[in-house]
Amino acid sequence: MGAYLVRRLLLMALTLFGMSVLIFVMLRLVPGDIADILTNASGISDPKEKAKIAHDLGIDQPILVQYGKWIGGLARGDLGFAYVSEQPAIDEILPRIPISGKLAGMALFFAVLLGVPLGVISAVRQNTKLDYFLRVISLSGLSLPAFWLGLLVLMGSVHWFGTIPIYNSDPHGFWDDVAMLGLPAIVVGFRSSALIMRLTRSSMLEVLRQDYIRTARSKGASMFAVNFKHALRNALLPVVTVIGIEAAFLVGGLIVTETVFNIPGVARFLVEAILWRDYPIVQNLVMLIAFVVVTINFLVDMAYMALDPRIKYSD
Amino acid sequence: MRKRMAFVAASLVALGVAATPVFAQKAGGTLHISHRENPPSASIHEESTISVNQPFMAVFNNLVVFDPNEKKNSPDKIVPDLAESWSWDATNTKLTFKLRTDVKWHDGKPFTSKDVKCTFDAVSGIDEKLDIMRKSPRRIWYVNLKEVTTNGDSEVTFVLGRPQPSFLSILAAGYSPVYSCHVDGRVMRSKPIGTGPFKVAEFKRNEVIKLVKNPDYFKKGRPYLDVIDWKIVPNRSTRMLGFQTGQFDMTFDSDVSFPMLKDVMDQKKDAVCEARPTNVRSDILINRDAPPFDNPDVRRALVDTIDFRAFSQILSQGHHLEGAAMLPPPYGVWGMPKEMLATLPGHGTDIAKSRAEAQAIMKKLGYSADKPLKIKVATRNIAIYRDPAVILIDQLKQIYIEADLEPIDSSVWYNKIAKKDYQVGMNLTGGGVDDPDTFFYENFYSKSERNYTSYNNPEVDKLIDAQSAETDSEKRKKLVWEIEKKLAEDAARPVIGHNFDNTCWDPKMKGLKLQVNSIYNGWRFEDVWLDK
Amino acid sequence: MAIIDHDAALARAGANVTGRWSQAMFLARRYPLGAVGAFIVTVFVLTAVFADVIAPTDPTATNSKFSLAHPGGLFWLGADFMGRDMYSRVVHGARISLAVGAGAMGLGGVIGITVGLASGYLGGWFDLLLQRLLDIMQSLPLLVMAIVMAAALGPSLRNTIIAIAIPLVPTVARVVRSSTLSLREQPFVEAARAVGMGELRIAVRHVLPNTLAPLIVLATAQIGSAILVEASLSFLGLGIPEPHPSWGRMLSESAAEYVRTAPWLVIFPGVAISLTVFGTNLLGDALRDILDPRERT
Repeated sequence: MGAYLVRRLLLMALTLFGMSVLIFVMLRLVPGDIADILTNASGISDPKEKAKIAHDLGIDQPILVQYGKWIGGLARGDLGFAYVSEQPAIDEILPRIPISGKLAGMALFFAVLLGVPLGVISAVRQNTKLDYFLRVISLSGLSLPAFWLGLLVLMGSVHWFGTIPIYNSDPHGFWDDVAMLGLPAIVVGFRSSALIMRLTRSSMLEVLRQDYIRTARSKGASMFAVNFKHALRNALLPVVTVIGIEAAFLVGGLIVTETVFNIPGVARFLVEAILWRDYPIVQNLVMLIAFVVVTINFLVDMAYMALDPRIKYSD
Repeated sequence: MRKRMAFVAASLVALGVAATPVFAQKAGGTLHISHRENPPSASIHEESTISVNQPFMAVFNNLVVFDPNEKKNSPDKIVPDLAESWSWDATNTKLTFKLRTDVKWHDGKPFTSKDVKCTFDAVSGIDEKLDIMRKSPRRIWYVNLKEVTTNGDSEVTFVLGRPQPSFLSILAAGYSPVYSCHVDGRVMRSKPIGTGPFKVAEFKRNEVIKLVKNPDYFKKGRPYLDVIDWKIVPNRSTRMLGFQTGQFDMTFDSDVSFPMLKDVMDQKKDAVCEARPTNVRSDILINRDAPPFDNPDVRRALVDTIDFRAFSQILSQGHHLEGAAMLPPPYGVWGMPKEMLATLPGHGTDIAKSRAEAQAIMKKLGYSADKPLKIKVATRNIAIYRDPAVILIDQLKQIYIEADLEPIDSSVWYNKIAKKDYQVGMNLTGGGVDDPDTFFYENFYSKSERNYTSYNNPEVDKLIDAQSAETDSEKRKKLVWEIEKKLAEDAARPVIGHNFDNTCWDPKMKGLKLQVNSIYNGWRFEDVWLDK
Repeated sequence: MAIIDHDAALARAGANVTGRWSQAMFLARRYPLGAVGAFIVTVFVLTAVFADVIAPTDPTATNSKFSLAHPGGLFWLGADFMGRDMYSRVVHGARISLAVGAGAMGLGGVIGITVGLASGYLGGWFDLLLQRLLDIMQSLPLLVMAIVMAAALGPSLRNTIIAIAIPLVPTVARVVRSSTLSLREQPFVEAARAVGMGELRIAVRHVLPNTLAPLIVLATAQIGSAILVEASLSFLGLGIPEPHPSWGRMLSESAAEYVRTAPWLVIFPGVAISLTVFGTNLLGDALRDILDPRERT
C-alpha cells in the first residue's frame, strides 16, 4: 500500500514534468509570438521595435534557458510575468480560479442532483417506457454541444425573464453567485448529469440482480428501502469514477460556456491567452489543468480503495 | 434610407443643441458601456485600434482637439485643450503653443512643456531612449517634425522641416494625447496616468475598465459622470442583449450593423441609434509581385468584377459609402466628388458590362468555368474581415477564379502581408484623422512602416509630398483627388466601400456628439451626463 | 477478452437466424434504440456522400437579395445574413462533420492501434515509455489538447482533423494494448508461433483482428466526440474556416447575433450536430451491448 502510494505520486510528478516539456515545446511551434502580436495589434511590423519587445520579454533567449527560467520559477512559486498585461502571471490567474471553481462546483452539484435519482429510477423501471425516455434524455445530454445549449438558454432567459445574467465582478453573497452562475452551471452540468445517470443506472442494474438484494426483498423490505439504501450505496463507486472522468470533460464545457456567458473564468482565459501567445499564462494554466486532472484521478483511485475493500493495489 | 434621414435629422438636432447653451445637466451617476474585446493595452500612442481610443481618450488631453461640439472634424474647427493658444511663424515651419499652467497629472504632479516634448520626442522617434512607450505605430505622421523645443514651463515649439498645414490636425487627433515624462511605459499600458477628466481606477483584462471622475480636472464643472464602467464582452450577441435589457447605457462604437439594427430597435423601443461612417474602408490587397496578379490584366479583371453594391447590400443593407481612398463627401472633407469617382476603374455603374469585360480578359488568358484560376484569399481571422472576404470569394467565381479563404491569425497578419506571402488579401484600413497627410503617408508612402503592401510609386510619393506642403486647401484637394485616381488605376488597395454603422444608446444618456469622419476622435466623455 | 463472434452473440441473445437481413431485423427488434441510431447514422452518411445531389445549390453562394430570408419558399431552412442557403449549408456541413469524425478517428485510430499493438506486443521499456507518454497526453482534457494543437497548426480542415486525432490516440492505444496483452498468451497465438510465424505477422494477422470488437465500440463513441470537438473548435474560431459550411462555425458569432430576427440560423445547425452525435451515441451503445458482453447491462 505504502509502496503503491509512493509509486503513484512519483508517476504523477513524472507526468506533470512531461506535460511541462510538451506544452512548452508545442507553444513554441505556434507560428507568431507575442512580439509579433503586440506589433501587429498596432498595425506595424517594424523589426527594430519587435526585437526590442522580444528582448524585454526575454523570448529572444535560447529555448532551454527560457524553459529553465520557467521551471525554476515554478519551483519557487514564481509564475513569471504575463506578456500582455505585464503583471505577475499569478495575479492574472489566481483571481480567475474561484470563478471557474464555483461554476464547476455548481455544475457538478447539479449533475449529481439530477443524474443519480434519474439513474436509479431508470434502473428500477428497466425496459419500461420511462426507462427508454430517461435513457434518450441522458444520451441527448451527451450529444448537445454545450455552446449550443448555452445559446438556447440565453435566448430563453431573454424571452422569459427579459434579461440575461451578466457577470458582475463583486457578487454580494451566495445568491448573487447563484443568479449569475446558475444558468451556465446547468449548461455545463447537463452533460455530466447524463453520464452520471448512465453509470448509476448500469451499476444499479448490476447490484439489483445480486443475491443479497433479492434476499432483502424476499425478507419483505420495502421496495424503496431496498432500492435506495442497499443498492445505491453499492452503486456509489461508479459515480465517483464518473466524477473523476468528468473533471476533465468539465474543463472543455467550461471553456465554451464561459465564452457564451461571458464569464471571466480561468477556462476562457486559457483560450484568449493562447490567441495572444501569452506563454506565461498558457503554460501555467495548462500545468494547473493537468495538475487538477492528475490529482483528481489519484483521489478517485484512493476513493475506490476506500469504498471497495475488494480492490487491492499490491503492485 | 429611413436611417439615413434619421441620421441627418439627428445631426441637425445636434447642431441646434450646440448653438444654444445647454442647461440642466445633472452631475453624477455611472455610465455602463460594453466593450467588444480586450484592448491590447491602455497606451493610445502604442496601439491602432478604436478598442483603445474609445475607453482611454477620456484619461488624457491633447494640446489641441477637434471641436467636440462639431459633428465633422475639419482643420478649421480645432480648439485649445492643454494649449491656450498657438501660432505659426512667418515661414510656416514653427508652431508654438502657449500652455495652461493650472493642469495636474492624475498623480498630482504639475503638467509642463517638458511632458509635451517627451511625448512627441518619443512618438516621432527623435529620442529613442525614452521609456514612456516601446513602440510607435504612427511615427510616419511626424516624419516632417525635426525638433521640439521648450521655452520655460508653459511654451513649446514644434519645428518642422517644411510647411505642413495638416500638422495641427495631427495634434488634434484622438491618437495624439500628451503623455507625462515621469511615467513608465509599463504603467501607461496597464493603468495610465493622464490629465484628462477621468482617472483609470481599474483595468482588469477580459473583464472591466473602470474610469472615475478626476475631481481636479482643469475644466471646472467637468466631467459630469462619476464613473464610466466598460464591461469587456467579446461576444457581440451578448453585448446586444445586455444593451437591450438595460445593463448597458451604450453600445460600443459602430457595434450595431444594419442587419442587426432592427432587432435592437424592436427590443429597446427608446434606443437612440445614430448611423455614421467610421472612416474605415474595406479594401483589397493585391500582391503584384507574384503570379497571377503580377499580370496587370488579371488585376484589372479582378477590379472590374467587384460589385460594390452587393457588398454594401449584404454588409450594411446598402449603407456603405462608395468612394476612393479618402472618405467621400459629404461626410469626408477630402474625398473626390461623385462624378469623378464614376470614371475610376471598378466604380462604373454597369456591373454586367464590366464583368463581361473581365470575363473576356480571363478567357483570353485561358481560364474558364472548367479550368478556373485557383487562388487563396487571405484575411484576418476576425468576423469584420472574414465577412467581406467571403463575399469577394463568391464574386470572383464570376470570372473563373476559384478562391479559398485563408484566415490568418491576427498575430501574423501584417508580417505575412509584408513578406508578400499572399495573393489577394481582404483588409480594413482605418483613418485616425480624416486627413490626407496621415492617410497617404501611413499607407502609400514608399518609406512608411505601415505601408505593408510596399506600394512604391515615386510619382505618388511626389504628389503626397506636394499636397502636404500645399497651404491653399482648394489646390490641395485637387492634388488629393489626383492621388486617389492614381491609386485606383494602379489597383493599389482597391476600396470596396467605406463602412457605415450604428451606435446606440439609452435616451437617458445625453451630451454625446459622435463625429462623422473618424470614430477615433471625440471620446473625451467630459460633456456626457445621465438624466436619471 | 473480446473475441469477435457475431453468431455467438446472436446465439446468446437467443436468436434463431438465417441471412443478413433477418439478422439485422432481429437486432433492430432486440435493440430498438440502436436501430434508431443506425438509421440516423446512415442518413447522416448518405447526406454527406450525396450532398451535391440533395442540395445542388452552392452553399457558399452569397446573394444580397436574400439576406436573412425566412425558411420556406426558395430556402427551405432560410438564409443567413449573406443570403447563403441554410439548407444547402446544413447538408454540406454533414460532409465536413463526417470528414472530421471519420478522418480524426481514422488517423487517431491508425496511430493508436500501431502504438497500442507495439506497446502491448513488445512490452519492456518501450511499453513503459509509451505508457508514460500516453499518461502525459491524457492529463489534458480532449478539448484543451485540441485547442492547443489547432492554434499551433492554424485553421484548416486538414489541421482540424490532426488536432482532434492526436488527443484521441491514447484511448485507442490503451484499449488495443490491453487486448494485446491478454491475447499474447492465448493458445492460438502460441500455436502460430510454434508453426514458425513471424512476430509482426502474428501481431497483424492474429492479434489485431481480435481487438476489433472493443475498437468498433470505442470508434463509434469517439466519432461522436470528434464531431463535437470540431464544432467547439470552429465555434471558438479555431477549427474549420469560412466559407466552408461547418456546423460549429455556423453557430459562432454571426448566427447568435441574429438569433431573434433569424432563429433558424441557430436552430438548424445545432439540431444537425446534436442529432448526428445522438445517432452515433445510440449506435455505439447498441454495438457495445452486442459486441462486448462484459459491459452489457
